[in-house]
Amino acid sequence: MSTDADLVERAKAGDERAFRALYDRTVDRVFRLAYRMAGDGDLARDFTQETFVRAYQRLEQFRGESAFSTWVHSIAISVTLNGLRKSARHRDRERTLDEAHAVPSSAREPEPGLWGRIEAAVDGLPDIYRTVFVMHDVEGYSHGEIAASLGVAEGTSKARLFRARSKLREVLGAAMEEYA
Amino acid sequence: MSQDIRSIYGRYNTPPETPREEMWDAIVARIREEGAPADNEVSLEAARARRRWPAARGWAAAAAVLVVGIALGRATAPAPTGTADATGAVADARAADAVARPTPTALDFAAFQHLGRSESLLAMVRADARQGRIDPAVAPWARSLLMETRLLLDVRRGGDPTLDGLLAELELVLSQIVGVTETGADEGRRRTELDLTVGGMDQREVLTRIRAVIPAGMSSE
Repeated sequence: MSTDADLVERAKAGDERAFRALYDRTVDRVFRLAYRMAGDGDLARDFTQETFVRAYQRLEQFRGESAFSTWVHSIAISVTLNGLRKSARHRDRERTLDEAHAVPSSAREPEPGLWGRIEAAVDGLPDIYRTVFVMHDVEGYSHGEIAASLGVAEGTSKARLFRARSKLREVLGAAMEEYA
Repeated sequence: MSQDIRSIYGRYNTPPETPREEMWDAIVARIREEGAPADNEVSLEAARARRRWPAARGWAAAAAVLVVGIALGRATAPAPTGTADATGAVADARAADAVARPTPTALDFAAFQHLGRSESLLAMVRADARQGRIDPAVAPWARSLLMETRLLLDVRRGGDPTLDGLLAELELVLSQIVGVTETGADEGRRRTELDLTVGGMDQREVLTRIRAVIPAGMSSE
């Protein structure tokens, strides 16, 4: 079985099958991460595709100083966060329009359940915390992997996770007690 | 963290099965489509050749921009209207034209020239960002352009709002580029910030708007 380094060299030389093999080895985790961050299949597909297109275009710059999957993940995170910012702006614009056209109603919205509150609390985390939280607590990445993918120190990854969990506890504390 | 809590959070945005083949087909199509060198690579190379702009000349360059702008403004200013021979349809047409297209002021010309130079830098930074790098020569060049932009914004108070708005956008982008180039962060972080900067620039269509506003022949030095 070829190593990542062999495949990268062959892909750099134009071997499409080698790049496909690299894709097969990494795409699941990239797609899962993109989906977890975006919560939308179309966006996750777009971000994953963009990640591998960029990886292919920048393959010459990959010098093997980190694992290929780490390098691809750093591209994926950058693409995903950028893409989410753009789509958030579009969503905000759409929401403003929807609100403008909404018929006022006196009916009270049902209270969200515990799971709804958890989702909303995670969604509400700032990107830098949510990324680390999703990677570590949801997808099970190690702090070493997260640090390498984000280009930060492991301590920074741990600190961000700590902050993310603290914020979630703040938001969810009361809800958790209700359901205890 | 306990396994129980992880299993709860594991429900967050649960991904479906990876659509491998569908995405692979799209990736291959994109790579083949974008495989050929883009047309703008040629002009980017030209921009790369022009990139050396010593920062020490920043203020002198800014002053020169203004002087050139004023000179151009005087040279191209329309002749006074209302003379005895300016009568009939021709005079009406001139008057209508003057109303429809306000004559650019000297400071507008200075701004056009400045935008032309900035366009070269922004195009180069965007191309570099695609390659995941940034040329060290960008830092002094961007700083110099940022200084000029602020100078122009100061002296143009109350000018053409479209042009002033574009200069304000340019100031933001340039200050972000200066921030990226001068940050002490590691390479990965720098690349992320560069991507964000270029993403924001594309989102606001800064390059397109600059190209649209610059009169023909003034797009570069």
